[in-house]
Amino acid sequence: MEHNNSILVLPVGAVGRLDVGRLLREAEALDEFLTQAAVREPGTALKLPKTSKLLDDMLTSNKLNGLVVEDRQRIISFLQSVKGQAPTMHISFSADPSPLFVQRLVSYLRAEIHPLVLLQIGLQPNIGAGCVVRTTNKYFDFSLRQRFKENRGVLMSKLQGLPDKKPETPVPVAVGAPTAPEVASV
Amino acid sequence: MDTWGLGLILGSLTASTAAFVWLALKLGGKSKKGGSMTGDDFADQAKKDVEHIFNDEFREELRNRGRLHFEKIIGENAMFLQQDLRLTTSQLNEYMKTEITRKLQEEFTKYEESITDAKQMAIESITKTQETIEQQRLMMSQQLSQELANEKTRLIDRFEENMADIVNHYVLAAVGNQIDLNDQLEYILSDLEANKEAIIRDLNDGA
Repeated sequence: MEHNNSILVLPVGAVGRLDVGRLLREAEALDEFLTQAAVREPGTALKLPKTSKLLDDMLTSNKLNGLVVEDRQRIISFLQSVKGQAPTMHISFSADPSPLFVQRLVSYLRAEIHPLVLLQIGLQPNIGAGCVVRTTNKYFDFSLRQRFKENRGVLMSKLQGLPDKKPETPVPVAVGAPTAPEVASV
Repeated sequence: MDTWGLGLILGSLTASTAAFVWLALKLGGKSKKGGSMTGDDFADQAKKDVEHIFNDEFREELRNRGRLHFEKIIGENAMFLQQDLRLTTSQLNEYMKTEITRKLQEEFTKYEESITDAKQMAIESITKTQETIEQQRLMMSQQLSQELANEKTRLIDRFEENMADIVNHYVLAAVGNQIDLNDQLEYILSDLEANKEAIIRDLNDGA
């Protein structure tokens, strides 16, 4: 990505590629409206389009002014770059997560993993709890189901009245398809 | 009755008949030697003499004597025959008894030998059958033990496999929906933190 784009911050409300696309369309619409408005006759009544909270957050967090052409172009360029090149993580949960939960998760991921990472939220009710993460080439199973599988020896030892066995070492990194299909994705 | 007894009887009968004929001829010859008479006279005289000598009483007497003698001879011969028959019967009985006893002993001996052989064969056959049955029993016992061990192992494996799945499924079904995602956030973030490097590496360069 270009250096000037990297200084911008993607708001936590823009979770996935769809949000980025929506934000990009809105920014382009705003830019087009203001470009058209610039050629209007002076004194003509002008009603500014209502921007979304997401775009407001982006402008605010990056200290940009939507009325400035350079800022708008910068935002558009940045969003196009993000939409086309930003890494995407796929995370599945057992239930549909709340927006607050997603925002906290996105905040962590953009702070610790990648500042422009995008999320695709999925739903796998059979994992019980936890999540299943899929990146470009890898598959991480942090679900309760996987924990049960790893500690299956302990369960059988308890059932048989034997001393506890050491649980199998977690294998969060595995290449391949997920063990269960997704039910839905956001 | 033996041949000698029968010959003796026939000889007695023949001698009696010959004596009777001889006596008749003797009396007839004496009558022919008296006077010179014609043939018819002699014939009549002879006929009369014969009828005079061999009158009915004399004939009856001779007949009675012959009958008595014949009866006596018959009785004696019958007695001899009876004695011979008794002797022969006793000898025959003794012979038959001896022969039958010998034959029976031989047959019994053969029978005992046959029984002994059959008994020996039966014992050998039973012994072989018992050995075979014992071998079969041992083999079947081993096979059964092996099958039981395999079945036990298979059941235990299946139990372990299915039991773990059942327990996991039950816990997931019972607990999974009760855990709020917000409560899981720390747990999820700790897992992500633990695998942060791998995720970053995969996102950055696809390694």
